[in-house]
Amino acid sequence: MLGKLSSRQKAVYYLLLILLAVFILFPVYYMVIVSLKLPKDIYRTPSLLPLNATIQNYVELFTKQNFLQNIRNSLVVAGSATIISVFISCLAAYSLVRLRYRFRDWIGRLILFTYLTPGALLFIPLAVIIAKLQLGNKLEGLIFVYLTFSAPLSTWLMMGYFRSIPADLEEQAMVDGSTRLGALFRIVLPLATPGLIAVSVFTFTGAWNELLYALIFITSPAKQTVPVAVSYLITGDVFRWGLIMAGSVSAAVPVMILYYLGQRFVVQGLATGAVKG
Amino acid sequence: MEQVAPPLASTKPKRRRLSMAQQDGMLGYFLVAPVVICLLILVVYPFFFAIWISFTDRMIGQGGRFIGLANYVYLFNWIDFQATVRNTIVLVVSLQSMKLLLGLGIALLLNQEIRGRQTWRSLILIPWAMPAFVAFITWKLLFYPQGGAFNYILLKTGLAATHVEFLSSKALAMPSVITASFWRGFPFWVISFLAALQNVPQELYEAAAIDGAGPWQRFRNVTVPSIRHVVLVVVLLSTIWTTNSFEAVWLMTQGGPSNATMTFPVLAYFGLQNLRIAEAASVSVSMLPIFGFLAFIVAKLLQED
Repeated sequence: MLGKLSSRQKAVYYLLLILLAVFILFPVYYMVIVSLKLPKDIYRTPSLLPLNATIQNYVELFTKQNFLQNIRNSLVVAGSATIISVFISCLAAYSLVRLRYRFRDWIGRLILFTYLTPGALLFIPLAVIIAKLQLGNKLEGLIFVYLTFSAPLSTWLMMGYFRSIPADLEEQAMVDGSTRLGALFRIVLPLATPGLIAVSVFTFTGAWNELLYALIFITSPAKQTVPVAVSYLITGDVFRWGLIMAGSVSAAVPVMILYYLGQRFVVQGLATGAVKG
Repeated sequence: MEQVAPPLASTKPKRRRLSMAQQDGMLGYFLVAPVVICLLILVVYPFFFAIWISFTDRMIGQGGRFIGLANYVYLFNWIDFQATVRNTIVLVVSLQSMKLLLGLGIALLLNQEIRGRQTWRSLILIPWAMPAFVAFITWKLLFYPQGGAFNYILLKTGLAATHVEFLSSKALAMPSVITASFWRGFPFWVISFLAALQNVPQELYEAAAIDGAGPWQRFRNVTVPSIRHVVLVVVLLSTIWTTNSFEAVWLMTQGGPSNATMTFPVLAYFGLQNLRIAEAASVSVSMLPIFGFLAFIVAKLLQED
């Protein structure tokens, strides 16, 4: 803002920042240390320190539980949803930004409204529709349903990117004899690579983290995605917190790294409203 | 560019050709079609289907018949639903005011000339980058009587004589859910506010200072008008998400104890589990007027950008 801070002001600011850091980091710290503890250490000799740390929980998670299968399911679902959604969204976003036709504004509004429509409103009719289409308990069904949030989000974000790329470049290419589609694939998309990466990351993490639809549409343990598998660990009679936290850490770390990598590609201002949470 | 039209071109049989603009228009429809078709099947149709189901007595596995407003009459006399409405108001109002006040405060703090601003920005993003389900399961553990950190600290320091039942006491369940939701949700607000603050032209502050404006007046007359638009979008977007968030309540309390934390999505989810989909649909659809109002304003604001 303005002016230099007095040293007393500075002290207060840094104190507040440290409190903030503790508030943010403590849950993460506790999650990690509990994932490294056995039940007897969690319950009988509780402590805020990682005493008797062991990777036993991780070993059990990846060998005795179905967790590798869950990760595979999540990768298939989130990966496919991302590829499909980013591909069709690029086409749609390009069309909405660069081409002129009737109802274009209405289609733009439709995409914005579908982006804002919450899943809580849609899961009941979708349950009926998915059952009718015989897609219940199938990963394909889940991929299809994930387009409800990934397609509008990717389209909306890609529209922002395409607007930031000057139209002259593709017009030049078309004057030189390229078709419009040729210009899209050879000129515009390569220029939009940072946008494509960011949008792919957000779509992927959104699908990887999704719980409600996966809980409703997947019924057999072999098809469960990671969020469903981890959330079922806390519905038993005895909470095996060590195991649950090992699952949580394993589920969180890859997407958090991805998220930070993706964040770097986000143009400022585009970030607002970028990620549904 | 130096090509010359072949002299015989005009004698060729004339085929009606589409103009460039018409071609572009056709291509436009063609390119936008996959997304539009997906959204019609997956969002628009279900949206209206939900409204229709809520006027029937449909159950899973059997089609229903039209019963008018009967589901809604039932809802408004149903204690679970009344609790849901009350809880949602408490949750949204307290959570959003916390996020607004503290979010703005933290953003102003981070906008000062402090060391390592980029590092702080990354730190703030941690709860937001974490999957929501992981965040809420972790907070459930923190609050849990056996093995939870808060009870350990309270007992160890003597602040509490016995275990505090954060999630299973009627008085504490909602504040606990709100705290966890705040942790997970506030980074989005701080980062958005920070981006808006950094876009405020420095000259405005300088001009205000020359005119003799104090810190409060500068905040009131320069900062607030400059970031108002972003603040409004964030408040509205987040209110839509918060009202419809399922994970926080489902993972921490499942709506309990005795409906103390029941919210719309969780009540609707229970309805679906009990196969009473018409009732469940009417629970979801009853939020529609508020959602429609919020979405309409957000859409207007976002399209102005």
